[in-house]
Amino acid sequence: MKISYNWLKSYISDLPEANKLADIFTYHLCEVEGMEKREDGDVVFDLNILPNRAHDLLSHQGVARELAGQLGIKFNDLTPKYKVPESKPTNLKIDLQTEKCHRYMARIVRNVKVGPSQDWVKSRLESIGQRSINNIVDATNITMYDSGQPIHAFDLDKLAGERIIVRPAKAGEKITLLSGEEKELKEGELVIADEQNALAIAGVKGGKVAEVDANTKNILIEVANFDPVSTRKTSRKLGIPTDSSKRFENDLSPELCSFAMLEISVLIAEIGSPERSEGMEFQEIVDIYLNKQKERKINFSTDFVNKKLGANISSDEIENILKQYCYTFKRIWDNFEFIPPVLRLDLVIPEDMVEEIGRVYGYDKVKLEIPKINFKPVQNEIFTKISAVREKLLADGYNEVMTYSFTNKGEVEVLASASDKKFLRTDLTDGIKNSYKLNKLNMALLGVKEIKIFEIGTIFLKDKEQINVATADKKGIAEMSLDKFIENYKLKIENYGNLVPRTSPLSPNFKMWSQYPFMTRDIAVWVGEGVESNQVHKVIKENDGELVVRGPELFDSFSKEGRISYAFRLVFQSYERTLVDSEVNVFMEKIYSKMKENGWEIR
Amino acid sequence: MKEHGNKGTEHPLSILMNGVYAIFSELGFEIANAPELETEWYNFDILNVSKDHPARDMQDTFYIKNEEKKVLRTHATNTSARMMEKMASDGNKEGAYISIGKVFRNEATDATHEMQFYQIDGCMLGENINFSNLKGVLTKFYKTVLGEDSEIEFRPSFFPFTEPSIEVHAKFNGKWLEMMGGGMLHPNVLKNAGLDPAKVQGFAFGGGLDRIAMIKWGIPDIRFFYHGDLRLNQF
Repeated sequence: MKISYNWLKSYISDLPEANKLADIFTYHLCEVEGMEKREDGDVVFDLNILPNRAHDLLSHQGVARELAGQLGIKFNDLTPKYKVPESKPTNLKIDLQTEKCHRYMARIVRNVKVGPSQDWVKSRLESIGQRSINNIVDATNITMYDSGQPIHAFDLDKLAGERIIVRPAKAGEKITLLSGEEKELKEGELVIADEQNALAIAGVKGGKVAEVDANTKNILIEVANFDPVSTRKTSRKLGIPTDSSKRFENDLSPELCSFAMLEISVLIAEIGSPERSEGMEFQEIVDIYLNKQKERKINFSTDFVNKKLGANISSDEIENILKQYCYTFKRIWDNFEFIPPVLRLDLVIPEDMVEEIGRVYGYDKVKLEIPKINFKPVQNEIFTKISAVREKLLADGYNEVMTYSFTNKGEVEVLASASDKKFLRTDLTDGIKNSYKLNKLNMALLGVKEIKIFEIGTIFLKDKEQINVATADKKGIAEMSLDKFIENYKLKIENYGNLVPRTSPLSPNFKMWSQYPFMTRDIAVWVGEGVESNQVHKVIKENDGELVVRGPELFDSFSKEGRISYAFRLVFQSYERTLVDSEVNVFMEKIYSKMKENGWEIR
Repeated sequence: MKEHGNKGTEHPLSILMNGVYAIFSELGFEIANAPELETEWYNFDILNVSKDHPARDMQDTFYIKNEEKKVLRTHATNTSARMMEKMASDGNKEGAYISIGKVFRNEATDATHEMQFYQIDGCMLGENINFSNLKGVLTKFYKTVLGEDSEIEFRPSFFPFTEPSIEVHAKFNGKWLEMMGGGMLHPNVLKNAGLDPAKVQGFAFGGGLDRIAMIKWGIPDIRFFYHGDLRLNQF
């Protein structure tokens, strides 16, 4: 959610500077994903609002109230200053035919004049990355980003009559969206309709048929509350996540509708008809709200909070936090009876209050304590077996690899995979075979004479999963279950194996390999008796250039007729390009000539 | 590069895994394990993840053909869930468990995302196991793995199975990185496991192992871990 510093400032006069706010967000509320300084001096935060606070914090007012509460500073409630327009009788009828609409509020406003928005409206929207469309649509958006409540405006004169029906869609019913795109609806998906057409996909997106355009004169404003699951399913299925659906998906309080209807009405009165504001007619609000949200009470004690946090927060400190937020509560000694604000649907159980108090108090202030409990760990059998097998294979010179659990054939198939490998492996053999091939090609680079590898991993059969061990070497591939391996090799499994922390911070850094092919060169020389291999090594090393990634490595030596033959291997590779023979030959020639200077004979 | 000599070389994740187990064993945790192909109950329901929770969508979770109610586990927290249930059936009121296991996510892969990776998961329960203990244990853990001079922070977060919930961030080479999620076990989770939240409380945590390996050793691509390429075995 993009949050504008200047917008917040309209609610909090004493707002701390932007950098300080970023810290408050990070340590007491949620992650700050971005912070952008704008040319006009505004700072825009990109806040990753947590799912349990999406009820109240996908809005500037919500964030401002939260900050004011946390900092114990004044929140300027603007509602008492609103010039609420006088309302006239209405003929509007709302026909609610579903339980998935928890509240539907609407009102007709006549004699609006659609046109470009005033500069302050445009700049507010632009600050949070939104485009200004026209004064009416902008008013609905400003209200949403301010209060958190999605709002829709219809062109009243494009409706079949002054009757709105909220109903499940018929199978195959079609709707053309504001974007011009046509969507087919599934039976039961919620629509807002008149007597003829579906006008909007409830809580997701408006339709073309009743779009507010430059000629619109009379409008119908919808401020409603839709079921989170139904909204999410529809928006996901149609592939249209919107600012509106995102809010309904997270469950909004139906109580928010009243605040938002007031705010949008005041805003439309102010900007809805720049030329003839006297002539606008606001009709009475029609409000269908059958199951009113019930007031909740949470009882908790100071002891409870401290027992969960391991802290020593006093009852007075808790009381102060609750007071700062202007929360409704009663304190009797060390017990609190708390009535959550209507928008705080996340506060339900005493543990929620532990979080509420803990994060405001500051998790950093809670001490660190390593606990002691009366508990005797039992040795884990599977881990012990795996350790024993790994230790044995490592000791026998096998190197450990891991390969993919997914493959293109098997007995267990996953649904809707993002990959073409839809099956779980039934063996490790396929994976280790590929690994063997790959490593075989790199033998010179690895500096080994043969490839010996193993994998210990889970395989999936029709009715069970099982841990297998597979090895691959020049004799071939062998695979068996973990238990079978232990039985075959008569491994002892009493001990955990080599379970020591080998993860000191001084451990070396990873060295990325080159993506380009390597080239191998062998060089063998005859030297006189008494010449050590490291003398030859030194000469090669000093002259082999910068492209050697492995070597010189002595791989053969023998004596014959008073002379010794040493054979060294060099592996050349570039991180930037594929090497050609001629450039490697330059180094080889240099090495040959140095050899000759030493009186050594190239074989 | 490490010489591929007489003794075989270990996969970096195994080295790290043993290191992690060693640290937690020293702190009194018992090593635990659980299936990779898991029931929805242990992967979601017992952990207070509601039937309609977005995490249960097919876009994120691998469901199994012709196997209703089974998933490839999306986190290793199924292990903690099973161990808590075992505690309840054994009548134990205290326990601490650590597990590192392979988990699966249905997503497109790139240098930092894989369809399979390893997660560290743990929980500790007792009459008075609290948030300050969570801070103590995880701080000890990350300082051992990343170095005594690394800084550790606990920031607010949200998970269905913990309340309060936090994220652990570590400053490594001058940069703050998100390492793990955790918090105090939600009373619904304790109840679902058969424990009495009035008598037993505790913390749980979980986070990626591959990620620690990447940060610690500077390995640039998560996919390297599963290519079976011995050039990876450098440590």
